[in-house]
Amino acid sequence: MSTTLITTEEATARPVAPARRRRATRPARVALYTALIALAIVYVVPLLWALSSSFKDRSDIFAFPPTLWPAPASLDNYSNLLAAQPFWSWMLMSTVVAVVSTAATVFLCSLAGFGFAKYDFRGKNLLFDVMFSSMAIPFAVIVVPLFILIAKLGLANPFFALVVPWVAPAFGIFMMRQYTEQSVPDEILDAARIDGCSEFRAFLTVVFPLLRPAVGALAVWSFLSSYNNLLWPLVIVAEPEFYTVPLGLQALFGAEGRQYDLVMAGSVLAAVPALIVFFVLRKQLVNGLTAGAVKG
Amino acid sequence: MTATTAATKLRSDQRRWAPYAFISPFFVLFTVFLLVPVGAGIYLSLTDWAGLGEPDFIGLANYSRLLGDASFGAALGNTAFYTLFAIVVVLPVSLLIALGLDTRGLRLRDFFRLTYFMPVVLSPIIIALIFGLIFDGQYGLLNAVLEALFGFGGVSWLTDPMWARVVVVVLVLWRWTGYLTIFFLAGLQAIPRELHEAAELDGAGLVRRFFSVTLPQLRPVTAFIAVTMLVNTAQIFEEPFLLTQGGPGEATLSVSMFVYRAGFQRQELGYAAAAGVVMFVIVFVLGRIGTRAFGVGRTR
Repeated sequence: MSTTLITTEEATARPVAPARRRRATRPARVALYTALIALAIVYVVPLLWALSSSFKDRSDIFAFPPTLWPAPASLDNYSNLLAAQPFWSWMLMSTVVAVVSTAATVFLCSLAGFGFAKYDFRGKNLLFDVMFSSMAIPFAVIVVPLFILIAKLGLANPFFALVVPWVAPAFGIFMMRQYTEQSVPDEILDAARIDGCSEFRAFLTVVFPLLRPAVGALAVWSFLSSYNNLLWPLVIVAEPEFYTVPLGLQALFGAEGRQYDLVMAGSVLAAVPALIVFFVLRKQLVNGLTAGAVKG
Repeated sequence: MTATTAATKLRSDQRRWAPYAFISPFFVLFTVFLLVPVGAGIYLSLTDWAGLGEPDFIGLANYSRLLGDASFGAALGNTAFYTLFAIVVVLPVSLLIALGLDTRGLRLRDFFRLTYFMPVVLSPIIIALIFGLIFDGQYGLLNAVLEALFGFGGVSWLTDPMWARVVVVVLVLWRWTGYLTIFFLAGLQAIPRELHEAAELDGAGLVRRFFSVTLPQLRPVTAFIAVTMLVNTAQIFEEPFLLTQGGPGEATLSVSMFVYRAGFQRQELGYAAAAGVVMFVIVFVLGRIGTRAFGVGRTR
């Protein structure tokens, strides 16, 4: 109904289109920019405050009146943190775990997303529903039994426990399915088959390259969720030599009697890789994340 | 049978089995690390176990204990409050910001969008630490600013039960709003402009168009966001854990913290599992209602 209406209307409406390109009035525009800038300040100030605090003496962090510019500014917090804590080891642990998880996640989710998007098979709807509803299982439900299971099976090695259970997230599969459906034409797949590609080869050589934007988004998402995770490492990692950054910061904060100087320096250092990944791949992340959800 | 038909047969066989092979890694991991733990959790919830020896089967005793446990009641109440806030406040605020960012001819759109999105990139522990600095009851930035502006700065943000809850919720708002905004913005940008133009020609005003064009068109994205937020906020852990340790008293205790505390600090594994099962039922039922009602995940 609405489509026919639009096409007929459009024919008549086109000539006056410029008149309808109505922009907001000037005061409204000023109000809008003011609100958006104020909001941006709300987002930026806490981060700047943390950055500034990380260069302050322990006694200056809570000085009154507060000063945004640290005086004297010093790198003491950083050097003390790095001297007293195995911070680089936490960082290495977090990064290795996050990179390995991300590689596996991207591969497995693309493959499964492709399976759901481009094939008709018996039980597809049911399996998809099962997969999709697994997103609604809160982690708190399985944390205790999963911990016991992994400990009993002797799999509590952090490199296993922090990676393997999490490499096929339902959200990632959902995202890749949506993207595959939208951007991989059937014809190209058929052409690959006629050329004699096996299904898996067709996926690797033809489909996967087309998924690049979504793969970027999924990779960032996956890297960040692994890199930032606290609860599961807190439960499963017992030995300090396998601490991840969030775990190390948490332990340090507790051990230092909730003092902020060292943990702020640590937070700033920990935020750097996350922010770099984010800034480099921001367009892909934002566009890829939303691609699936918009269509629903 | 010629070679070509054999090859064709092979290929069509392969085509029949390939999708199962492609989705099987998910289902293997799903079974081992999700389904089995959920089942084990249900069994465990019927036992009394401190982690050593064999679990003692005690029937529904853990559940009746949960019913009478004021801490669990507080945890449920707090979590319900956080979740409700996420749906009732964070969601509309995000939509409002997205509408602002969708204004035609807006400059710096990407700058705003990315600035608001940034918190989601950071570890919750970092966010909790930063806000610990700001909301510190004695010397925090916020109190200092209030003191300078209005001459009072003695608000005990983290040690007053009411304010502590507000602070947790502020963290939720700060962390998630920008994330949801990009989803709404993408949804808004995907609405065909013709729909708005047609409605405008029919004499619909701004408000009318919002309710009869924008909102219905945003339904899939709203549903997706609502369910995501429901599940995310229902398992909130880091913010109260790091900022207030669930306190003062148990004013900010969440269900996830309750489970963690019972299971890993008090070694009451059966009891913790029971709390997890209760939460599972609540979230899963709400999540299913949500997805069913909106038809999330269905393409056609």
